[in-house]
Parts: sequence; C-alpha cells; structure tokens
Amino acid sequence: MSIGAHAPGWEWYYIGLYFFFGGVSAGAYFIGSLAEFFGGARHRGISRTAFYIAFPTLLVTPPLLIGDLGQPLRFWHLLFDARSGFPYVNFSSPMSVGSWALVLYGAMTLLSFLDNLVSEGKIDSAPFARLYSRFPRKLYAAVGSAAGFFIAGYTGVLLNVTARPLWALTDPLVGALFTVSAGSTGAAAIFLVMTWRRVHPAAELEEFERFDRIVKVLEIALAIGIVIAAGKYAGVLFRGPYAVMFWGGAIFLGTMVPLTANWYAHLAGRHARSEAVAVLMACLVLFGGLLLRISLVQAGQL
Amino acid sequence: MPKGMFVDTTVCIGCKACQVACKQWNGLPGDPGDFREDPAEKIPVAVNFTGNSYDNTADLTGTNWRHVMFIEQFPENRSGGRWLISSDSCKHCNDAGCLNACPTGAIVRTDLGNVVVRQDVCIGCKYCLPSCPFGVVSFSHLTGTARKCTLCDDRIHNNLGTACAKACPTGSIAYGEVADLKKRADARLARLKSLGHDKANLYGYKEAGGLNVFYLFLDSPTVYGQPERPVVPQGRLVLSSAVTVAGALAVGAAALVAFRERGQVEPGEEEVGK
Amino acid sequence: MGSNMAECHPVAFRWPLQAKTGHGAVLMHVDPRFTRTSALCDVHVAIRAGSDIAFLGGLIRHVLGSERWNKDPFFREYAVNFTNAATLVSPDYKDTEDLDGVFSGLSPDGKKYDNASWAYQREKPPAPPAGKPATLSDLLLRKVPGRPKTDPSLSNPRCVLQVVRRHYARYTPEMVERVCGCSKEGFLQVANTLLENSGREKTSNITYAVGWTQHTVGVQIIRTAAMLQALLGNIGRPGGGVLALRGHATIQGSTDIATLYHSLPGYLNMPDARKAHDTLKEFVVMEAAPVATSFWGNYPKFAVSYLKAQFGEAATEANDYGYDYHPKITGDHSHMPMFIAIAEGKIKGLLVMGQNPAVGGQNARYQRKALAKLDWLVVRDFFETETAAFWRNSPEVRSGELVPKDIKTEVFFLPAAALPEMEGTFTNTQRLVQAHDKAVDPPDEARSDTWFTYHLGKLLKPMYKDTADPRGWAIRNLTWEYEPEPREVAAWRVKDEPSAYKILKEINGYTVADGKPLPTFAALKEDGSTACGAWIYGGIIPEEGKNRAASRKGDAWISPGWGFAWPGNRHIMYNRASADAGGRPWSERKKLVYWDPNADSGTKDPKGNPVPGKWVAPSGEGIDFQVTKPPAFRGKDLALGFDGLSGNDAFIMRGDGKAWLFAPSGLVDGPLPTHYEPYESPVRNPLYAQQSNPVAKVWKVEGNPYHKTADPQFPIVLSTYRLTEHHLSGTMSRWLPWLAELMPELFCEISPELAGEKGIRNGEYVTIRTARGEVQARALVTRRMRPFRVDGKVVHQVGLPWHWGWQGSAHGDVVNNLTPLVGDPNVSIHEGKVLTCDIKAGKRGGGAQHA
Repeated sequence: MSIGAHAPGWEWYYIGLYFFFGGVSAGAYFIGSLAEFFGGARHRGISRTAFYIAFPTLLVTPPLLIGDLGQPLRFWHLLFDARSGFPYVNFSSPMSVGSWALVLYGAMTLLSFLDNLVSEGKIDSAPFARLYSRFPRKLYAAVGSAAGFFIAGYTGVLLNVTARPLWALTDPLVGALFTVSAGSTGAAAIFLVMTWRRVHPAAELEEFERFDRIVKVLEIALAIGIVIAAGKYAGVLFRGPYAVMFWGGAIFLGTMVPLTANWYAHLAGRHARSEAVAVLMACLVLFGGLLLRISLVQAGQL
Repeated sequence: MPKGMFVDTTVCIGCKACQVACKQWNGLPGDPGDFREDPAEKIPVAVNFTGNSYDNTADLTGTNWRHVMFIEQFPENRSGGRWLISSDSCKHCNDAGCLNACPTGAIVRTDLGNVVVRQDVCIGCKYCLPSCPFGVVSFSHLTGTARKCTLCDDRIHNNLGTACAKACPTGSIAYGEVADLKKRADARLARLKSLGHDKANLYGYKEAGGLNVFYLFLDSPTVYGQPERPVVPQGRLVLSSAVTVAGALAVGAAALVAFRERGQVEPGEEEVGK
Repeated sequence: MGSNMAECHPVAFRWPLQAKTGHGAVLMHVDPRFTRTSALCDVHVAIRAGSDIAFLGGLIRHVLGSERWNKDPFFREYAVNFTNAATLVSPDYKDTEDLDGVFSGLSPDGKKYDNASWAYQREKPPAPPAGKPATLSDLLLRKVPGRPKTDPSLSNPRCVLQVVRRHYARYTPEMVERVCGCSKEGFLQVANTLLENSGREKTSNITYAVGWTQHTVGVQIIRTAAMLQALLGNIGRPGGGVLALRGHATIQGSTDIATLYHSLPGYLNMPDARKAHDTLKEFVVMEAAPVATSFWGNYPKFAVSYLKAQFGEAATEANDYGYDYHPKITGDHSHMPMFIAIAEGKIKGLLVMGQNPAVGGQNARYQRKALAKLDWLVVRDFFETETAAFWRNSPEVRSGELVPKDIKTEVFFLPAAALPEMEGTFTNTQRLVQAHDKAVDPPDEARSDTWFTYHLGKLLKPMYKDTADPRGWAIRNLTWEYEPEPREVAAWRVKDEPSAYKILKEINGYTVADGKPLPTFAALKEDGSTACGAWIYGGIIPEEGKNRAASRKGDAWISPGWGFAWPGNRHIMYNRASADAGGRPWSERKKLVYWDPNADSGTKDPKGNPVPGKWVAPSGEGIDFQVTKPPAFRGKDLALGFDGLSGNDAFIMRGDGKAWLFAPSGLVDGPLPTHYEPYESPVRNPLYAQQSNPVAKVWKVEGNPYHKTADPQFPIVLSTYRLTEHHLSGTMSRWLPWLAELMPELFCEISPELAGEKGIRNGEYVTIRTARGEVQARALVTRRMRPFRVDGKVVHQVGLPWHWGWQGSAHGDVVNNLTPLVGDPNVSIHEGKVLTCDIKAGKRGGGAQHA
C-alpha cells in the first residue's frame, strides 16, 4: 500500500506558466533596479527596458492564477477574510504571503512602468509627471526588488514546503533554483527587448554574458543537487515527457547550450560575437526556464 | 476538551458501512470518477474495479471521505496468513498541514478540535492537497473546493457522534473525548501485546502534534498506507526561506559583479535612453 | 462453519467479536475461503467446499474417542439423560458401513428410502383407552407407540451411541485430511478447542448459514453439527447451541408464517394430495401420530385453530373446519420444479414479489427462458429488476435467442414500498420478533406487499361469489378483515394500508366467541373455540393492545423485555438441559433454568396446600418446559404432549423427549449424516462406493445437463457466495451508486497457483464455463483461495459472488447461468455452494484478456 500526499492537480498552462512569467518579471525588475542603483547613465537603457518588461509580464499572471482556482470569483479571499472583509494573511502559508507580495510587487512595477512612460515623455500630463517625480524612483525600485525576490523564489518554497515526495525531498533547494533561474530568464528578457528596441551597445551584452556565466553555473549546481536530493523519486525526471523537458529542455537547451556559446564567445573575443546567436541563446534561456518550471511542477504531481 | 475518534482496526470487518454512512449524512454522491453512463439505459454504471483485494475505493477524494483498505499478508504455504483491514479518513491533526497551508483561512479548527474546510470560503487553490502528509484532503470538481471529512461537524456540535461511528457494527470506530478514547486504546494495546502481537501499535499519539483521529494497528503504519513518521511540511519553512534568500543574494552578487561600471565610457559608444 | 458471519451478518457479528475481545472467547472459522470472517477469527481451517460432513463426522469421532469425553462424567450424564444415545435401534438397521454408503431400506431403483428399518426398538404399546374416540386427540392417543428400549450403560452394540461410533469410525484425522484437503493439525486444533470449551463450566456454539444449507446434503450437514453439540452437552445452554444465520432480514418470519410450499404457519405440514390426507382426521393422525408424544401432541389444537383463523365462521366441526376446501399440494412445488413446470407450459401466471429469479434462480438461463412461456407475469419491486426486464434486454434477447415480439408474456411491473414505508414485524435469526414502525409514506403509487395482497384478496373474493367450483369456497370464506382503524392511518397519506396489528393478532390467536387475544398457545383448543394463525407466535399479543414485539427494554444478557422470541419468549430452546437430571444447574457460571424445590409452584394439592417446586429462570428467560413438572417426574405411557414427557425430557418437540443423535424418522436420506460428494465433484468419494446423496433431487430435463463425476472438462470446484456490499441478486443494492461503487463488477477469486497454470493475470477478464452456460468476470488473484490436496490429487477451487445482473448501476454476468437445478431431498434447497466448472483467461466468446 502506498498512499501519499495528494497531487494538487495544477495545470501547466496555469501554474507552470505563472511561475515562468513571475520569474521573468521579477528577475528583470531586479536587474533593472540594480542597474538603477549602481549603474551609471550607461545602464539607464537596461533599467528602462527592465521596467518596461516587469509590469506587463506580471499582468499576465493574475488571470493564470485565477483561472486555476476551483472558485475563481472568490480569488479575493486570498487577501481579505471572506466573512469579515478584513485583510488576511497566513504566515505559515507561502501562498498567502505570496499573494500579498504579488500585490506589493505589482504596485511597484506599475509605478516603475509609469515612471518610464513619464520619463520618455509618453505621458504628457504635467501634473501626473509632477506627481511622479515626487516619489523617489530608487525607493520603489528597492521595495519592488525585495518583493520581486520574493516573487522569484517563493514559488519554489511553496513547492518544497509540502508533503509531495519529489517536492519535499528537494527542499530547501527549489526556491533558490527558481530565484537563480529568474535572474537568468530576466536578464535574457531584457537582452531580447533591448535588441528589439535597438538599444544594445556591445558593453551591455558583455555584462549580460558575464552575469549569465555566473548564474548558469549556480543553476546547474542547484539542478544537480535537486536530482540527487530527490533520491528514488528522481525517477519521474528520468522517464517520460518530463525527463525530456527537464534534461533536454531546461538543462541542455536552456542552460548548457547558452553557457557553452557564452564561453566560446568570451574566449574567442568580441569579434566572434554574433547578434543572431545571442538572440537565439536568449530565447533558449527563456524556453529552458519555462520547461524547468513546468517539469518540476508537473513531475511532482505524477 | 477535544473530540475525536479511535479506530480499532483489529475489530474492523471491512463492511464499509462507514463509507456509506458518511456519504449519506454528508449528501455525497457516488464518486463521479467511478461511473460512466450506460448509453442504453441512460443511468450511471460503476466501472471502478481495481483488483486490489476488496478495495475499489482506492483513495480519499473530494467525494470519498472515508476509505476502507485491505492488506492481504499470506505466505505461500498460507500458514499464519492474515487479512488486515482498516478504515481511513482525516486525522484532524493538532498540527495540521492543510490548515497551515491554506491562504484564505478557509481551513479552521473548531472549538472541539476538529479541522474543517469552510465551503463558503475555500477558493479551490488546491494548495492544501499536497500539504497533508496523509493524503487526505482532496479537490472536488462538483463544488470547486477542497473537501474532506469534517468529523461530522454539524452532528458533533449537536451532541451526536460521527455518522461512521454510529454505523460501525463492531465498534471499530468510536467517537468521544480524545482523552477517554486514549484510555480505551491503551487498554486494547496492552491486551494485544499480552496475546503476542508485538508489532501492534497506536498511531497518532505523537504524529503531527497528535492526531484526534488515531488508530490501533497490528503492523507498521506503512503497511496501512500511512507515513511512518509523518512530517508537517511547514516545519521546513524557515530553512527553505533562508536558503532561497541566500540564492537571491547570490544572484544579487552576480549582478553586481557583472554589471559594474567599468570606468570611463568607451569611445564609440553612445548613451542610450535619457 | 458454512457461513460468513462478518460479511453477511455484520451487525450480529459484533457479539462474537465482543466475546473474543472482552473475555477471550476463541473464534474458529472452517471454510473453503479466507473471508472477512476468517480475518477476525483466531483460527481458520480451509476445507474443500462440500466436505463439511467429513469434517464434522471427524469431530464426532474424535470427541467420542477422547479422554475428556470419556472421563468427565458430565458428557455421559448429558448424553444419557438428554439425548437418545442409550436408545436401541432396530436389528434390521444396516448402516453405510455395511452397505458401502447407503442405508437399509433403499428402493431397488435407488431413489427412495423406506425408513422402517431405522426405527427404535420399543416396548409393547400401552393399552388403548376404553370407549370410542370423540376427538382428534382421542384418535392420536390410540396411536401412541411403546416406549423406546434403552441401554443406559451405552454398551449394547445396537444402542445409538455405538451405532454412531461405528458409523464414523473411519472419519479419522487422516481421512479428514484426505477428503477435506485440510491439515490434520488444523482439524485437531478445532476438535480439541471445542472439546476443551465444552462441559459444565464452558459451552461452545456452532453458527452456520447457507454455506451448509445449499447442498444436496444440506439438512444432513446441519444434523451433524446438532449431533456434535448434543454429544458435547452444548444444547439448551447459554453460549452453546446451533445457530442458523437466516439470510434475509425476516426470512425467519417468512418460514414461520410459511411461504414454503410444504408447510403451514407454525411448521404444520401442508395437506398433500399424494398422501392419505383426504380428511382432517386422516391428515392429523398421519402427520401428528409419529410425534404425538412430544409437544406436537397438541397438533389437533394447532391445526383446528389454524383452520378457524383461515375460514372464520364458515369453518365448523360439521365441515371439518373447511379442511376439504383447503389447498393441497400434489408434488414438489418448490422453486426449481415450479420453474420446470413453467418451462413446460403448465403454469400460466406468476407473481414475483421481492424476488429476482432471472438472476437468483439456479440455471438462470433456463429460468429466464421459462418466464417467456408464461401468459402473465407480475413483478413487484423498487426497481425494474432483471426479472421485470427479461423480455426486453436479457442476454437471451440481446443474443436473439428470445425475440420480444414473440414473447407472449404480459409483464406487469408494480412499484413496491420500501421497509420504512410500512409497519410490521421482523422475525430474525434467533426467532426474535421485533415490531417496526412506519416512518414515511411510500412515494406515488408504490405500495407494500401487505397492501397489495390484501387488496388483491378484496378484489378476488367477490369474483368467486357465484362460482359453482368447490374451490371457490375457500376464497369466498377466507377471513379477510384487516381494515385499519382511523388512528392507525391518521398520520399517513395512504389511508387503505391494512392493519398490521389485526394481522398480528390473528397470527397470535384469539377466542372466537369474544375476539380476545390468547395469552399463550397453551390456551389453544381443538373444538373450534380458538383461532390462531401460527401457534408458535402465541403470546405475542397477550392482551388487547399490547404488542410484545414492540417492547424495547434491553439488558446485558437475555433481554426478555426486548421484542418477543417465539415460542413464549424463550430465547434458548430446550433450556431445561441447562440443568442436570436432578434439576440442578450444571455450574454456577452456566446457570440459566433450574428447579427450585422450595418455590411456590402456583398449584395446590387436594388439601388446598400450595405445592412447592418449580422451574425458575432469574434472568427472565422463558422456560422451555412445563414449569411445574419436577425433574423426577415420570411421564405417563399413554399420553399425548407434555403428559407423556418425563422430568428430564428436555427436547419437548421430539416424541421421546431426547435430542436425536440418530434420527429414526423425519429425514428422507438417512438417519445419520454421511459424507457424500456434491452432485458435481472432481473426485470419487474416498469413503464409500456411493458417490453422492442417492436420493438427491435431480431433474433430468432438457436445458439442465449435469457434469459427470471427475469430468476432465470441468475439473475445478466452483462455489458461489455473497459479499457485504451487495444483497443477493442485487435488486436492492446494484441500483444505489453508494453500493455500486463499492463492488462495481463481477469478479472471480482465484488462487495464484491456478492463475499461474492458466496464465490469468489479476484484474483481467476470465471466463468460467459449465454445461449450463458461461460467464465472464474480472480475475481477483488472491492467496485467500488455495488449492486442496484431495485423495492425493490437487483440486483447484474458484469462487464467484453472484450479485450481478445487467440492470442497475453495477453490471456483471449472471453467475447462476452456471449452476444446475439440483437439490436437497428433504427441503428441495438448491445445491448452489458447490459444483464443477472450467476457467480460462479472456472474455466470454473469446475476447481479449485485458480489461
């Protein structure tokens, strides 16, 4: 007999996708904020792009989360007590704290997004602009980053702090993995948008790649650690569709290939860097990040 | 004083009256997943034969809140063979994984110690499902919410016992004050041990902060499909969060290293943005 | 044995379990399968289906040869005083040991026994009384035989004990192992446990159900157990006895009030046109004379009062109380031959109430096809049962064998009320009658069977008003007045439900003159002044308005204030035997009924002084004996009923007042149970040349082929049985989703050894086949089934629960498609518990094995 903790029955097109978009948004915002804080004028392009990415990618997520609910119209119970109407939080539940973090993070990314629009003159309204310049940009970047970190990593903690064997055994690594992956996918997203907007001096590219070299190693180390920690439950990651997604998609295409291209370009010098390849690599990183989350969330439900 | 149930599996005859009484009292239908419609007669026909001994229920679900399991232990020569039978339901843990995980406060503990999912509050996020180490709470597509045994919350708050205890013909399921039930259970265990059942054990005195619905087993809990050492997963929250924060700091450090100002602007580069 | 109490009587099973957990009673289960009962018992011994008499006979031999039985004086004392162990049997008697498996008296064609050679040796009959006989009782008195001759030393080779000893001499533990396929050690464990737990201080009980009854030797199996318990001194004592677990709720009541074709209410015999039953006198004398020196000596009172209850005022002494118009049977009208008659077109119409022969009938295909021969069929039930639907979607219709438009049967399906929708009584397994109230009206036009029968009678009676046919007399004059009092129906929508009280009162009995209920059956008379539907229920309504079946005072033991246990609220029958010959309790611990020499008997001597001494039962238990008869009393030689019985004749329903180890009469297939193989068996009888019961009821008709013994085509033993989750043919359970999902599909329990041989995998389809038909089932491969080693060869056994049909929410093939029409010769019960078959992997008709 073996009956264990039940699988929640989360669909990949709701929850897996949410983890992905949340991670991209948070990662991008974080990098953008760092660029805002520590970067010079040269990094304004990065932070501007990041703040353009963060809010829209985040906006995708509430429909995904609400769609997965059995009682979608009651989603507001996540924030307010159903009977009394008072704000509610359950600190032992990552989902509960995460709901508030999403609200806070969402507010901050919205502010940053609007700030971009005002700065670039896309919103004409002068009073609006004045209102904006009142709030210190760095303040909400800071708050947003902290909340963003939470968004990036809490979903992994959410999985780890359950009794599903794959998720329980891989505790406490999945949160860290998702955070690191968020950084990686966020960076890739920023790079892609900058390329699309044609604001990509070579120097930024090099910084992205430097960032990626570090982060990808962390990712691989954490992924290996997770597989080892899963022990006999790692089987779901070695057989079936999620094995392909995890090893083929997340590890190989999403991590090893970009990392290899990265080192190759780094060692071969700047002249060997091709924009097309870099774009492809960024796409693979994003694709890999998506499959990483889907495979871990779905394989844990088998 | 908390109320609960003592399940003495050594007198369970596997009749499943508890399963049916539970469904009747709680107005639960046959599990939708068990039925297909007969095209000729237009009525639902049960198709859930499992081949697993006499257990066709297989698991607790959103519509099966009680489940009788059958474990056949027969050596090839049949000597000393036995058929262990046990009914199972929510344990109403004193430290409940489902309650800890619920993000809306839908899952609460009443004044009698039982844990209930408030059906008007639950949003059906399903996070409680993987949070129960015993695999109890389940999602019901019929209501769009998480559902499980309520310890007959309405009955026990009106001085009645649980429906399953009332229906049980042999008294295998007994409802009452947990403290009193434990005395009975201790006596039963002592008697079984004196008769030579050295693997007999009481399950639920220490597990998950103490289970208000606890069991007398003749063999290790894993034989009965229960985790030997169940862990309330929220206990890992602090460490998990800490390591995640460390991960975040690592990403931060990587970004700082990667995106630092490299001195003067290189010739040929243009400023972007502002 | 012969039962699965935990699964089929789960509520009652809590009592044996309490005995086990509370004070260490040992529970033993001897059964072909390891069931949910076995799971809760201390000991399980597996025996081959149909070998129960070999096992029980082995127990008898072991007990009689044991040191304990021979040394502890209790056993001999009980045997000599309370059983016919000392009685001498006719010198003409020849045992199965002499005739290699048959008894003396078998007809040349081997189909019928004449039991003359089984009779007791008797003294000369007493001189008849002077004068002409005036009453039926007077007639019976003139037939009183001489007392049986006895040898209390039990040494005469013709005494019953020695005859029994010799009969079972070859039922050694080795033979038991050889015939039953169980281990010697297992057998001896059961035997010694029984022996150790019988005696003065302890008693043991044997409980059985249809695992024993549904055999061609069904009655004899039960007899063996009764003999064993009598030898162990367990009868009439608390914690002892033989308990029959009746099947349906209130089936005990069903046989009490005689839905059986061959008996009248209260277990009177049915007048039979084949016998010398032409007049009431002949009927009573023929049926009662053999038993008149027992309490059955009151037969005339029972019979006349019954006729008065049936025909009321029209029944007078002048017309023999209507006896001439009372229906008489002309043969075996039990279920199986009835369906053969239907198949042969001899029966035009059938009323089926709460029964489902399309699934529950033996050789179900035969029975379903027979239904198509009727002119009309009325089915009353809650759901459209397979019987009600046979004409449109049975397997025979689906296969084209029967074509609906060619079936001329007019089928009426009437909705029946469910249990809570009617008032009445239940009589359950231990003869306990409990009243139950109506809780709610039936929906729409559903009505109870009582309502239906009553109103059918009301419609029929006027139709026979002017008929010249003498048979019309009976219907015209049937007492049929059960209109409800207004207060009985005030709360209900259905206003014309007959009065359950009036019906019960008629069953209880009343004085004709004033209609007052009779307080006990002792008040019955044979002069037509009393009427009584069923004498055994006498006293259930002791006075107007008081229904003892409705009383609800319980206690921890006998609970005399709870319901009414017929007869006379006696819970343990023959409880005189709970005291020794002198009337003293066998032990303080097992005290139940005993003689108190100082208690006021309530009678007075000629001088008017109170006579001391009576039987007492402090627990409130009804005393199954004449309360004032002293233990030393010697019954009169020329007497009927109680007067002829002595102070230690505890078994008051037997002519000699003793428990019958040897049955000189009453059973058509022998005075002693003998191991016969089931009618279909894979092995030759290891004990005798006679293979199976020589007088078993068989019907060699087309469509009912039997398998030969050890037929290589059908080498596997098949047993059919029930589960807790479903009820019989599934008419009440397969329509409920809650139950359908517990046991959704027909499955076959197979041992891994057999599964391995046949390439059968758990959960996949198998087909089981006999000469009567084929069914497919899911394979449940389990070690709870096992192969047996019988007479040196391996015999496999499979099992099929038979609840499934094609209607409702749980579908499966009809298992009874496999069984033949064959039955016990005493009571015509079908042999459903054991037959032979073959099994193979794959679906019926050769489909693939996987589900």
